[in-house]
Amino acid sequence: MFNFGKKDKSDKSDNTKKAIQNKKAHYTGQELRQKITPLPREEFVELIKEKINTPADLITKNISESITIIFIDFLIDGNTLQQQMIPELLKMSDVTPQAIKEKLPLSQIDISNELEIVIYEMLTGSVLIHVENKSEIVIANISSTQSRGLTAPENESQVIGSQVGFNESIATSISLIRRFITSPNLCNERFILGKESHTSVSLLYIKGVASEEQVNTMRQRIEDLDVADLVDSAVLAGLIDDSTMSVFPQMLLTERPDRFCNALLSGKVGIMMNGSSMGIIAPMSFVEFFHSREDQNLRWQIGSLIRLLRFSAMIVSIFLTPIYVATLTYHYEVISQTLLVPLSESRAIVPFPPIMEALILEIIIELLREAGSRLPTKVGQTIGIVGGIVIGTAAVDAGITSNVLIIIIALSALASFTTPNYIMGNVIRFLRFPIIILAGIWGYYGIVLALCFLLLHLLRLSSLGAPYLAPLYPLRFKDLSDSIIRLPSRFIKRQAVNINKGDDEESHQQKIEKVSENE
Amino acid sequence: MNKELQVKPYEMINAFLLFFVVVGSQIGVGIHGFQRIIYSEAKQDAWISVILSLLLCQLVVFIMVRTLKKFGNLDIYGIHKEIFGKFIGNFLNLIYVSYCSFGFFVIIKNYIEVVNTWVFSYVSANILIASLLLIVIYAFSGGFRVMIGICFIGFFFLLWIPPMLIYPMYYSEVRHLLPVMEDLKGILKGAYSMSFTVVGFEILNVLYPYIKEEDRKSVNKYAQLGLLFTFFMYLFIMLVTLTFFSGQQLEKTIWATLTLFGIIRLPFVERVEIITICLWMVIILPNLCLFSWSAFRGTQHLIKIKPKTFVWIFSLLIFILNFFVKTRTEINSMNNIFGHIAFVVVFIYPFLLFLFGSIKKKMKRKKVTGDTS
Repeated sequence: MFNFGKKDKSDKSDNTKKAIQNKKAHYTGQELRQKITPLPREEFVELIKEKINTPADLITKNISESITIIFIDFLIDGNTLQQQMIPELLKMSDVTPQAIKEKLPLSQIDISNELEIVIYEMLTGSVLIHVENKSEIVIANISSTQSRGLTAPENESQVIGSQVGFNESIATSISLIRRFITSPNLCNERFILGKESHTSVSLLYIKGVASEEQVNTMRQRIEDLDVADLVDSAVLAGLIDDSTMSVFPQMLLTERPDRFCNALLSGKVGIMMNGSSMGIIAPMSFVEFFHSREDQNLRWQIGSLIRLLRFSAMIVSIFLTPIYVATLTYHYEVISQTLLVPLSESRAIVPFPPIMEALILEIIIELLREAGSRLPTKVGQTIGIVGGIVIGTAAVDAGITSNVLIIIIALSALASFTTPNYIMGNVIRFLRFPIIILAGIWGYYGIVLALCFLLLHLLRLSSLGAPYLAPLYPLRFKDLSDSIIRLPSRFIKRQAVNINKGDDEESHQQKIEKVSENE
Repeated sequence: MNKELQVKPYEMINAFLLFFVVVGSQIGVGIHGFQRIIYSEAKQDAWISVILSLLLCQLVVFIMVRTLKKFGNLDIYGIHKEIFGKFIGNFLNLIYVSYCSFGFFVIIKNYIEVVNTWVFSYVSANILIASLLLIVIYAFSGGFRVMIGICFIGFFFLLWIPPMLIYPMYYSEVRHLLPVMEDLKGILKGAYSMSFTVVGFEILNVLYPYIKEEDRKSVNKYAQLGLLFTFFMYLFIMLVTLTFFSGQQLEKTIWATLTLFGIIRLPFVERVEIITICLWMVIILPNLCLFSWSAFRGTQHLIKIKPKTFVWIFSLLIFILNFFVKTRTEINSMNNIFGHIAFVVVFIYPFLLFLFGSIKKKMKRKKVTGDTS
């Protein structure tokens, strides 16, 4: 009853025959597309060896006179093989592939005579059972999944809230999601991407909540991908972006299952990828990159204040240094008299023009950050603190920069680190450099020029077809309650910022009813 | 109707955005120094002129919307063709396109002049204009929605102006407003000179087909609300100016609003007008975008052209044109000419168009009934 729609991709478990056949479509090796003819044991082993270039970890074993098993070491679960499969195989009297398939006490077992399926399955952790002079091969999946344990998400830590993060295995990650959302409407479509890497990618959404159009767009983009390999979901997100040329991320990468599920529940589309501990969420609006899951775990007043703090921090971080440069280069008259004295005192011995001074210090800060993030934690901290203090104080004493600028630069660096999303934080820091240069050329005029350009750019962007600046523009009053501020939950519509369809709870409910009627 | 002229469904906007569009198109460079011009005609009653000009605007918008409603999905260019036939219609379109381009030029020239006078006296105006044109090109190539978006955002950059003007109000002298209603002819003349400052809302003529069909009945409401907002802004600034300056002082102040900003003194910041002038770019950007867009829509009727090609050629023409107008006096007389033209195009022409439109519709109806009988 939970089989929605015509597509069987929305599988509930991967052990069906269909799941295996689906993979076929993605396997492209031309020379492998052939049927297996009935072969004696040695010739079959030779065939397999030849096709996969005789790896050292390929193991073949003759169990009885007619049965041979072939598998790749370490990919399979040795215990199951030893204790369940081999004894059963030895006991068997009637040795045909069909009989083996029926009698073996395994959940994932199948028969095929297509070479590419057979090889592909073996490479993903199946044992091939070959019966002398039979063309059908039994594929028994007893793959062992090796992944690190579940740990707290390191890049998106929070004080209050669940302390579990995704890990690199897609199976674990999806099981985590299923534990958060136990709904029959949670759809999971599996794709195999990458000609060489054969990475499995899952498209996740909740039927009736996510916009059909956006799901289709996402599916289309994934299917249209033509890549040799995929190593991380960040790469995948870059490939399926709306605007690849933009510096702004248009899809969120998160390693928090709670955030991922929250997004799914509010109508977004998610992607999980094997080998990456980050899930992709789209569509995202600019505002949402400054949200943290924790905002919702705090009291709404505090949550709102923290959000406001982050937004002002972003503005400060982008514009404070340029304003300093512009003011000191061109607009001295703007500074009030009380402020003028300390400013000129600290600037008196500095030989550089403000723009040079600011750029030097900004680059030093970036150097410290980069050094700190690449080194082991213990060393990194020391470098960060000592380097900061030494370079900071020494630079002022040596007369390279002014005290005021040190404060401003430190402040804007600090402000940029409040952005909860690491990628967005980097963008914010990057944006400063062109604006500083413009400020050095044209003063305030240059800054506003940059501001206009930035606003226009944000207006032009879209994420999965949805406007990037929503809910600010186009203005959606209903969604404002969970944008720059956060009102108590009862004011927040469950639908997400970017979803046009099913704006209110009622039509959402109707949609779900419709879906269940279709069964 | 040819396909390119049709509005694509995703470009349709809600009627309430018209409020921001009208405000964004009206408030531009005029606000910097309209007080002196009105004052020279209406003296201390200049604020009455502002009220009069609002009433006139409201009437014009009302008539405009009536005319547009008659023709359904057409903008003013389409209406021209419909009423006057292809040849005369296109001639009128050409005039309207030139008017829009002239408006664009006047705005960009005035703004750069203010920047050159107050902020950077030594930076070449040509380079500043080129930079602004680049921004306009970027906005234009983003499409219609982006332009409306910048109108919307630009609106919020206006909101801090009234609170800033509370500071000069400490030095206000209410008696400057007396006696009231001294010279009726002067007041009317003042209202006439307001036309340079209040025009912009004629963009409705071009924007109308972009409003979602189900929203079209509230076009008038939101446009009028936009007019009201601008009006209160102007009235407030005018009252503050009239009470702050003495008459002779005001006659010598070209940019009275900026001078008002100049006296604001906060503990950490002085000379606010320098910041204001630079931020003004966000406020005139909607002006520029809308004028260039409306020129584009007209050009589409005349020749087949893509938006990107248009905006580059348009910007190049404006840039070349810029070399011919240089001094303050030239700009001033250009403003005067534009004021006169704008008065005719914005305040008189809509009535004529309405008249012709009604006659045309009646004739058509007669024809139809005549055919059937």
